[in-house]
Amino acid sequence: MSSHEIKLQGASNAGARLWPGFRKYVLYNYLLWVLVGTIVLGTMASPYFLTTRNIWNVLTFAAVVSVIAVGQFFVVVTGGIDLSVGSIAALTTVVAAVLMKAGYPAPVAAIAGLVAGGACGAINGALVVKANITPFVATLAMMSIARGTSYMVQEGSLISITDDNFIGWFAGKIGPVPTPVVIFLVVMLIAAYVMRETTFGRRLYAIGGNREASRLSGLPVGQCIFSVYLIGGLASALAGLILAAQLNQGSSLLAQGYELDSIAAVVVGGASLAGGSGAPIGAVAGGLIIAVLGNIMNLYQLSSEPQMVVKGILIIIAVMFISGSGQGSGRKSGWADNLKNALGGLRKRGAD
Amino acid sequence: MSGSTGARFGAEAALQGAAKRGPVGGGGAELTAAASASSAEVVLQVQGLSKAYPGVKALDNCDLQVRRGEIHALLGQNGAGKSTLIKLISGAEQADSGAILLNGQRVALRTPHEAQRAGIFTIFQELSLVPGLSVAENIFISDMPTNRFGKVCWRRVRDEAAQAVEWLGHLVDVDSPVHTLSVAQKQGVELAKALRRNAKVVLLDEPSATLPQPDVERLFEVLRVLRSRGLALIYISHRLEEVQQLCDTATVLRNGERIGTYRVAGTSATDLVRAMIGRDLKSTRVGETIGSQRKPRLGSGGGDAVVLSVRGLDDGSAVRDVSFDLRKGQILGITGLVGNGQSELAACIFGARERVKGTIAVEGRQVDIRSPADAIRAGIGFLPDERKTQGLVLPMSVVSNITMASHRAFSRLSVIDRKLEGRVTRGMIDALSIKVGGAGPEQPVETLSGGNQQKVVLAKWLASKCKILIFSEPTRGVDIGAKEEIYDLIKVFAANGGSVVIVSSELQEAQMCDRVLVMSRARLVGDLDYAEIDPHGEEILKLYAGEHERTR
Repeated sequence: MSSHEIKLQGASNAGARLWPGFRKYVLYNYLLWVLVGTIVLGTMASPYFLTTRNIWNVLTFAAVVSVIAVGQFFVVVTGGIDLSVGSIAALTTVVAAVLMKAGYPAPVAAIAGLVAGGACGAINGALVVKANITPFVATLAMMSIARGTSYMVQEGSLISITDDNFIGWFAGKIGPVPTPVVIFLVVMLIAAYVMRETTFGRRLYAIGGNREASRLSGLPVGQCIFSVYLIGGLASALAGLILAAQLNQGSSLLAQGYELDSIAAVVVGGASLAGGSGAPIGAVAGGLIIAVLGNIMNLYQLSSEPQMVVKGILIIIAVMFISGSGQGSGRKSGWADNLKNALGGLRKRGAD
Repeated sequence: MSGSTGARFGAEAALQGAAKRGPVGGGGAELTAAASASSAEVVLQVQGLSKAYPGVKALDNCDLQVRRGEIHALLGQNGAGKSTLIKLISGAEQADSGAILLNGQRVALRTPHEAQRAGIFTIFQELSLVPGLSVAENIFISDMPTNRFGKVCWRRVRDEAAQAVEWLGHLVDVDSPVHTLSVAQKQGVELAKALRRNAKVVLLDEPSATLPQPDVERLFEVLRVLRSRGLALIYISHRLEEVQQLCDTATVLRNGERIGTYRVAGTSATDLVRAMIGRDLKSTRVGETIGSQRKPRLGSGGGDAVVLSVRGLDDGSAVRDVSFDLRKGQILGITGLVGNGQSELAACIFGARERVKGTIAVEGRQVDIRSPADAIRAGIGFLPDERKTQGLVLPMSVVSNITMASHRAFSRLSVIDRKLEGRVTRGMIDALSIKVGGAGPEQPVETLSGGNQQKVVLAKWLASKCKILIFSEPTRGVDIGAKEEIYDLIKVFAANGGSVVIVSSELQEAQMCDRVLVMSRARLVGDLDYAEIDPHGEEILKLYAGEHERTR
């Protein structure tokens, strides 16, 4: 590596002696600053932006995609992709709603929803590991199958949910805090702990970083990859339960496009689609950045079409600066990389 | 140092002896004389070609001449410069200096396209056919005959393609898609494609490596036909017996230099092997001691207890019926020319390659090894030759790489014990003197040098407390200083009761082991104790060449 790199290391070392945690997690955490930047932007945009009500609104709205993004992260870190997450969430809303309509209590409905989502994830995992189908194709098929199944289970138009317990758990409040926010924070923290502190997390990084070396080091590669799709399915199902409670309905039309939203969140959050990098908190932060910007544009009363354009541009910019083009190393550097390098390797410092 | 030069002269004298029996050109002077004598025949002439990559001189002032109606073998170990030479002749890369002459005219081959226009075609192992298109379409892919309106004249395409393929003696339907053909048929189509475009020189990069035996024979027939039609063929292969069967002349490269060009009919396989292997006596401290007749030794001989017992191991292709015992504290070398099955044998023992027959016992107990995880559980570790792609997770930190084969020992209830992990890693960094960068154990391994990366792989297996280590080409791509360090670490491991298998295609490395097994054509053909190895390795060279056997 160049002398430039060595200097960088020296710099972060000096910092490490002074105030390691602060330097590592705050000062050089690029993602955090982007989030702070968008919030500042929002404050300037509207006095309403920093009101408690608006903050809870944004967080509650972001909860569903955040939970899915955490599941998506587990898949992406192994170098895979899960396109079926939105459809699985929709199927879960329908399963839960149908059961509650048929008179089953809320816990049964919720558990059945999770089982349905988990089953879809398990099928994804089996298709990828056992049938050796590429993740893109396997989950593309599941995207269609789960959506279609939810139509069939639903039999007609949407099913409304009236069970107060269910709505209270998944869309209620604990004190001033909406439960969806509590759920996504808990999910995020568990995921962060698993990725940082457990052998399972370490294995996922290793498999995403180099699958062959992982196999030759005796890691249970197939088992791990199966697990991430299962986790993806379960996270989608949990998100589906929140969604159903928030909207008081189960419908096969819900959660359209969430697969792309969750992938965008993961990528903006610093993970490479080639696998082996990123963190769950980053994925949630990426989702929040997108949500906050959406909120700001709503406050500006921008209509939804230009909002989509802005969102797309944001993804490109964020990925250029934060996560290195969303692709793995070992390829030709494009102008996005050059731009990033020109900006002084900020990402390098934030990475560890 | 004087001893080493003496030995080097000895080696050169032996070489020249070989060259005298049938030289096309022993040295530079003879080569030009030979060239002027029969310049009409020479189709392709390479003059003083050099190419350097960052850190390595891949090709150094290399000459080569190939004649009309000749099959010219290009021989050499891995890293000898064969692939670089092919890349330069096929226009894939540009030489730093030197010239390529075609029919006496200097040509500039800036792209593969220009080389093909000049009549030089290369058939790589990864064939360049479009699988979904038909044979005819593939043969005409670069210039479909069209009418005035740009419509393809399919009749002409089919008729001419049929002629091209029939001429090769292959019964291939020109309408069938290429992906339905066998590898041999695909090679035929590639050749037909080259011929249709007036090929003068065809380079074949290990065409037999992916072929079953009967198809190899058929390929040879086709190549002989091409030779009789006046083409100049350059044939790259690791298999000496094929070269002896097929080729007229052979040029041997070693360390980027041309060692010599030989008439195959007058040269024994052992002489060719000697030219390929040579002995680079300057390169290591260990090498110097070879020169002064005191053979260096890695191991101390080992004990009596059998640690690893392999019986009748067979993978159906690259490894046939291999049996051997490894003793406690022993350093066992398994050697052979590249591609004779030794790396596959290592992969089979470690469970990274499927075996069809054979048993493996560790410390007297049969173990059913079906995956690397099984092997690791049995106490076997494997250091692959492709460190970066198989041994390490490059973006991960030193500590994560070192502990990745023994997660169980470094965790409680699946939660990683970071303190223990850090302590062991720092211990490894000290013990193996791994030079990590500023971030210490947290440094990503991709920033480490080759030698330090190899030490990280070794540390991974030491951390897993395995009893048997299999090294595949342990010092490939490692600089001289680190090489000695790695040898020292192997010694220490064995001295502490570990047992080692070193798979190496470097003669010098194999010679340092307590016992050497030699593989040729997928079988064990030699089994020598340290005391039986002569300092010049003549015995091993003969075994490499497959000219005799010496087993117990």
